[in-house]
Amino acid sequence: MKKVIRSFFIFLLLSISAFSFGQEKKHNYGNTPDDMVPYGRFQEAYINFFDTPQPFTGAGREKPEPTDLKEVRIGFLGPLDSTALVPQGKMMLKGCELAIEQANKEGGYKGIPFKLMVHNDFGLWGAAANKVVEMYDEHVWAFLGSIDDINTHVALRATLKMEIPMVNSGDPDPTLCETRIPWMIHVISDDRQSCYALAEYIYKVKKLKRVAVMRVDSRYGRVGVKEFREAARRIDHPIVLEIRFLDGDTVFTKQIQRIKDVNPDAVLLWGNAEETALIVNQLRAAGVDVPIFGSDRMVNPTFLKIAGKNAEGIVTTCQYDPSADNPKLEKFKKEFYDRFGEEPDVFAAHAYDGMNIIIAAIRKAGLNRYKIRDVLTDLKTFQGYEGVTGKIIFDDAWNDIGSIYMAKIHDGNFIFFPSPLDTLTSNK
Amino acid sequence: MIHLKFKKGIQVLFVALLILTVSAFSTDRVVNDRDEDATDASGVPATGTYAQILKAAGDMPVYGHWQSFTTENGLPANKAYCVRIDGDRVLVGTSGGLAVYEDGKWKTYTTKDGLGHNAVLAIDVSQLTGDVWLGTLGGLTRWSGGSFYTFTQLNSGMPNDVIYSVACDGKDVWVATGGGAGHYDTYKDQWEIYMERNAPMHEPWTYGVCAGDGKIWIAAWGGGIIEFNKKTKKFRDYTDPDEQMELDVFPDDGVVHDITTGVSYADGILWVATYFGVNWYDGAHWKTFFDKDSGLLSNFNNFNRAVGPVVYYCTDKGLSTFNGKTWVCYQRNEDKPGGNVLITNGPKLTDGVKTTKYAVPTSLSHNFVIGVDANDKEVWIATSHGVSHGERIK
Repeated sequence: MKKVIRSFFIFLLLSISAFSFGQEKKHNYGNTPDDMVPYGRFQEAYINFFDTPQPFTGAGREKPEPTDLKEVRIGFLGPLDSTALVPQGKMMLKGCELAIEQANKEGGYKGIPFKLMVHNDFGLWGAAANKVVEMYDEHVWAFLGSIDDINTHVALRATLKMEIPMVNSGDPDPTLCETRIPWMIHVISDDRQSCYALAEYIYKVKKLKRVAVMRVDSRYGRVGVKEFREAARRIDHPIVLEIRFLDGDTVFTKQIQRIKDVNPDAVLLWGNAEETALIVNQLRAAGVDVPIFGSDRMVNPTFLKIAGKNAEGIVTTCQYDPSADNPKLEKFKKEFYDRFGEEPDVFAAHAYDGMNIIIAAIRKAGLNRYKIRDVLTDLKTFQGYEGVTGKIIFDDAWNDIGSIYMAKIHDGNFIFFPSPLDTLTSNK
Repeated sequence: MIHLKFKKGIQVLFVALLILTVSAFSTDRVVNDRDEDATDASGVPATGTYAQILKAAGDMPVYGHWQSFTTENGLPANKAYCVRIDGDRVLVGTSGGLAVYEDGKWKTYTTKDGLGHNAVLAIDVSQLTGDVWLGTLGGLTRWSGGSFYTFTQLNSGMPNDVIYSVACDGKDVWVATGGGAGHYDTYKDQWEIYMERNAPMHEPWTYGVCAGDGKIWIAAWGGGIIEFNKKTKKFRDYTDPDEQMELDVFPDDGVVHDITTGVSYADGILWVATYFGVNWYDGAHWKTFFDKDSGLLSNFNNFNRAVGPVVYYCTDKGLSTFNGKTWVCYQRNEDKPGGNVLITNGPKLTDGVKTTKYAVPTSLSHNFVIGVDANDKEVWIATSHGVSHGERIK
């Protein structure tokens, strides 16, 4: 009997050790650094929602492919008129147009040309939902969009009802994929990644402690800084101030006085290029000479132009490295310039990748929205996709958790370098 | 190499042992072979099978003798979004129009008849007037006196043309839309809009709405549940206490997630549906149910509807029904005709609470359930592929 018990324990030990040594370290959701995991120091979560991808179990895969099509329609939803995001929207559209034109030169889909069905996302009263209905009625097979957080969410929710695959390349709102709608993938690193990169850089690399946050009073600002605020608290450096401004504001005297009152070690700005550049100028003019950090939308020529010398030394995040030694990127930049006579930006580059992914998914799956969805979300076909923006790595919520970059302004130019997050994770 | 093979061998052995051990000790999801066998040649369960199910279900209604409808027998489209029992007829919202089942026949109404859009996402019937209110992808359509009229953003004060949910409350009609919640006073012919600027919503998007106990309850996508007190005209919100999208720290502490998909109030209980689990709220205490700790078939819930003490949850893996004490769930077989009734004899899977599975010869038309309605005689469900009718077994 003793021999049996001894054998059982040896077997148990062997089994446990075999498993222990064979396992790779599982990353926290969203590449969250260990010390920034929500409630990580106090309580293990009762349930983690994104440990596995949400399947779509509905019907539709049995629908036959139509045989009488003259064009294969793909939708586009972006700000093209009447919003502050028109420049970004137009760049996004150009990235899509280039991808479509190139695909059609390669024969489209089995000889049928792709056609981009363009819709303006002007954002009033949930108009994005109505636009998705239009795309549904136009029988698009998938669509790409949008940039504004609210409009993209509105479109996403309509997407589930209409069951149209959606690729987002321009909205870094991390909560998009966290709605658990299994019809969208995100091909741009989100603000969760930006926030963790900034928190690591500001608090651990630069060893600053007292950060004041000034952000735009919109969903982009509110949701954007959320993970930074919470990460800062979790590593015992709660932000000392969070103050807001409006898009279109030009004078920030009251906010700057409050920043001076709390005497921070650093200021983090979260907003669009024009307003943040004006804030930088007014901060410096008011004698606030602490380091300034910022969000991805500050990586913009407008910001450099308005902020001028005051921009020197500012560090932001950026979802890709436009200066990367990447032959695909070089080729894209040349082709984009040849086609449109201007340099592509972050929105054009990510849209180009996103549209190419849609085209590849249609070519692989055929003309069936459910099968296109299956290909987009299978975490195999496009896992590790090498695009012009770099390597896209999806997590189980279909968020892009590939590398995020830091951008430092030096001599009037953005100098890009890897974020501290890259050294914390090994899946890049 | 030898070491690797050995390690793999141990892993396989260990897994096999683990499965055997767990199977031996677990009392959940036990297949009752006797019931499986108790099916006669015509496919009808032999006497005693439903008696066993009824006994196990206790106070819960049990449905069977399922009959399904698709385009092959009358529906305008296979994708059905919603269903409403209206006296002797049944109204079904499909992606191809409104289908009405009466006297054993289907009749279809489309945009040609005056619908705002052929995709009908929500239906409610006014108890006051008998008018049928249809939430479509192209506005809110009122079907009254045989004619259709559609309210849109452009011809009324409605917040958005995509209507996810509609609820009639006396003279008032409430809608949950992509641009906020709307309230239409049919006497005054006036609209009021509620969104993040005049209500405690984080965002303007709403997904579900219901009325009960002098209140309007709104499932606000990203904002949890919004309660509107009709008497005081005041709002309050119920959001996820842990404020995290990716996890739930503690169950039973509030709304399971801020992304809510459905809300239904009956018999003093507010039932909440989300893609992350479901909730029960009695006005003071919250309870959370997940597929891992209860009889709920799936955490992904498209919709819910409470009728009396029973709530019906439309999941992506079948229909779950619950009265706070017992779960009775319905799931079709993927690989053969028929399906199963799963009964869990307690609210949560704890010691002594187990799920028992009973094989039945008929089941749902599809396990991706999107809409439901029930009364004391029957249940109708809208699914991703067809509509099903279940008869209450007594």
